[in-house]
Amino acid sequence: MVTTTRPAFLPRAALDQLIALLNEDGRTVIGPRIVDGAIAYDEIRSAADLPVGWREEQAPGRYTLIPPAEEPDRVFDFTVGPGSWKGYTFPARVPIGRARTVDEQPLFEDVSPDVRPLAYLGVRGCELAALGIQDRVLRDGPVSDPDYVARRAAALVIAVECTVAAATCFCTSMGTGPEVDEQHADLVLTEIEDGFLVRVGSDAGRELAERLGVGDALEAQTASARAAVAAVRETIGDPVNTDGLRGRLLARLDDPRWAEVAERCLACANCTLVCPTCFCTSVTQRSDLDTLDTIAERSWDSCFSGDFAKVAGGNFRSRRQDRYRQWLTHKFATWLDQFGSFGCVGCGRCITWCPVGIDIREELLAIARPPARRPLPMAAAASPGRYVTASVAARASETADTMTLRIVGVDPAIANGRPGQFVMVTRPGLPAVPISISRYHPDEGAIELSIRAAGPATETLTKLTPGAMVGLRGPLGRGWPLEVAEGRDLIAVAGGIGLSPLRPSIDAVLTDPARYGDLRIYHGARTPADRPHVEDQVAWAASGVELGVIVDRADDTWRGPVGVVTNLFDSARWDGREAVAFVCGPERMMQATVATLLDRGLRSERIFVSLERHMECGIGLCGHCQLGKYFVCRDGPVFSCAELGDMFLVEGL
Amino acid sequence: MPAVRTRPRVGVVKLTSCDGCQLTLLDLEDELLAIAERFDIVDFPEATSVRSDGPYDVLFVEGSISAPEHVERLRELRARTTKLVAIGACATAGGIQALRNWANVADWSSSVYPEPGLLSVLDRVTPVSDHVTVDAELRGCPISAQQLREFLGAALTGRRPQFPDEAVCLECKRRGLACVLVAGDQPCLGPITRTGCGAICPAMGRGCYGCFGPRETPNVPALLERFHEAGLEPDEAARKLAGFNAWAEPLRPFIPATGGERPAEGHDARN
Repeated sequence: MVTTTRPAFLPRAALDQLIALLNEDGRTVIGPRIVDGAIAYDEIRSAADLPVGWREEQAPGRYTLIPPAEEPDRVFDFTVGPGSWKGYTFPARVPIGRARTVDEQPLFEDVSPDVRPLAYLGVRGCELAALGIQDRVLRDGPVSDPDYVARRAAALVIAVECTVAAATCFCTSMGTGPEVDEQHADLVLTEIEDGFLVRVGSDAGRELAERLGVGDALEAQTASARAAVAAVRETIGDPVNTDGLRGRLLARLDDPRWAEVAERCLACANCTLVCPTCFCTSVTQRSDLDTLDTIAERSWDSCFSGDFAKVAGGNFRSRRQDRYRQWLTHKFATWLDQFGSFGCVGCGRCITWCPVGIDIREELLAIARPPARRPLPMAAAASPGRYVTASVAARASETADTMTLRIVGVDPAIANGRPGQFVMVTRPGLPAVPISISRYHPDEGAIELSIRAAGPATETLTKLTPGAMVGLRGPLGRGWPLEVAEGRDLIAVAGGIGLSPLRPSIDAVLTDPARYGDLRIYHGARTPADRPHVEDQVAWAASGVELGVIVDRADDTWRGPVGVVTNLFDSARWDGREAVAFVCGPERMMQATVATLLDRGLRSERIFVSLERHMECGIGLCGHCQLGKYFVCRDGPVFSCAELGDMFLVEGL
Repeated sequence: MPAVRTRPRVGVVKLTSCDGCQLTLLDLEDELLAIAERFDIVDFPEATSVRSDGPYDVLFVEGSISAPEHVERLRELRARTTKLVAIGACATAGGIQALRNWANVADWSSSVYPEPGLLSVLDRVTPVSDHVTVDAELRGCPISAQQLREFLGAALTGRRPQFPDEAVCLECKRRGLACVLVAGDQPCLGPITRTGCGAICPAMGRGCYGCFGPRETPNVPALLERFHEAGLEPDEAARKLAGFNAWAEPLRPFIPATGGERPAEGHDARN
């Protein structure tokens, strides 16, 4: 059991003692050391082998070591070099099997891992996360790699928190550093004035600390360490917006940027080989002339190399752009599906060691464009019981049973929400009901809610008059991915009151039309009297937007078409292959609409639907709204059809 | 070794070349006897004065085609050969002597030879594959002993020899070397050059100079741009390509003319 929780202090001069203790335990110490103009991980026999006083400068495609000033003392004032711990946990070449011919019979034999006890000294936050990813991929999965398992088990991990950052670092965005959680290492060092703050993460680490005879750190020392690491976090900032990154990236498989980056990309594979998590390999047979004794050797390979996706007769990824896309989408999208985390830890090696300096952060920004406005923290939504008050300022009747309430004095987090998000609305004694925000007025701290009297509670809400107070919690859920629609035509298809959740996205496009292609709105309603937001529709049509409206049953006043909403566009002239669609309405209507859109050439990852389910908590805790692997309230309500797959069509899920 | 087996008949011949690749076969010192037991070496001017006219199961052809008589000889050899293997940069890409393809042969020969009229050479130096079907290639200047050994072993076993068509960078990183272009601004052809050498030059702290010729999908313009950023004038950067494999198709269009006309062939700019 680890009991030591208080940080201790290790004087800088005691590093040699630490190395000696590790050697005494039979461990070879591997740590940072200057080899051929860069800081590599190599054997450390004493603290003098460490790059004391050395610093580095990193930039896309550039790496420079800076020699120590006079009387150097700082030991870890650099970040990561071209080598990673992968070189020790998952070496570039290892024998994995042997085949011999004995008495003319083939004999296949395992090769036992040739493993010696090591101590990794100087594992950074990002690198610790990389070890965690390797564990999931190579050790904890349904199948484990015996060579990796043996090497990992034989290593003691001494982490070092970064007190400097390189210009290529983005651990903060990937959630891997610079802070190190001692749970993931045996010991954690943080360099301060005269030595190191030491935290213990395992029994082995505690035993080492005890043998070193470290004493408790002073509070000032702890504070100094924390401040140094916090400054690093501040320096790095948050360069990659990972919010919804997987979906944003997969929606851009045909982005023209892939071809653009391929004009610079050398497909040299440096990015993948310096990556601490890339695990792709190939097996080569090495035999004597008569093949009587063959060793199967596994070596690092890369999705950038020519033979990687080759089969007899062709290459599935013959172009550089195919390979770059494979790499980036694996790291930031499909890795999540396979292993439950990103495949990137934000160490920045692929940026520095790309000979032509392609910056993965820039490519992500260009291809998977982040939302124009980042969602604010869900302060008001944090707990299912925490509501903030707001008041009704005005009411406007939309249809016989639907009322739009203008709510003012709204929490800024809600007033600055995203199109397609919703709030839970309540009054004392009323059950909370989920209502989509049908318009935002962020500058006035106001929103509009269009509520249909579908039951007693919603009926009570539709009857509220100006001055009435309500409780709001939100904004909740994932809204319409407007960033996917940037530069593309947007088709908005609504059924009945389904126009209300779509309205903020239409507002957003009309506010900044240059960001998008053509907007087309198709609305179907039961009768002419069941059309909400009629004034808006007049304004949209006047602004040049293509607007089609159709009703199931006409009345005396109706001069428009009669039928179902898909009649409006099933033979329209536009080309849907590059378009994005947002669809909201009754589920049957959405299913029919999606089928027609697919026929029109839209891709399933660019068709988004807003689902309705029973929601109580709105934050994925109560379980009511589950749909397969999703909580509709938290993971939706907006989903792409690609995300939903068959679940969208199966009844009773 | 199985006692009874028909030994494949192997020949080694040369055209315009320095013989260095042939010597690589002799560099397989430890296995020479074993190779000689398994292959019937019927032609090998660097090793034996025995001569034969074939037929050959495997014929290693070293050297480029630079004289009129080479063309006919090559066709005759091809007709007597089952597997023809081009070995070395000369045979696979034209070699260093192909640099004269950018110059006027008449100018050069009169400045070098007292009686240039005695010379009979082709206007252009070309690789073996321009004239006859080639079954396999061993790249390099010179070829790698390890790859030659792999070729022989694979031929005996009945499998495709493992010559990965990948950048030198992969070997470089497997050896744990820091990139000399990134860390030292040294022009290095590794990213566009095929492996086979084991990244010898980066291991010595210098840039690759492309002995093994271009790999598949080489992005030559992007690398030249990087050389330019590292301080080389555009012509100077392009001249880094003008080595043993200058006449290889992916490099050819980028090499500046040194006299005479620049070759007109385009390059494949496919990404």
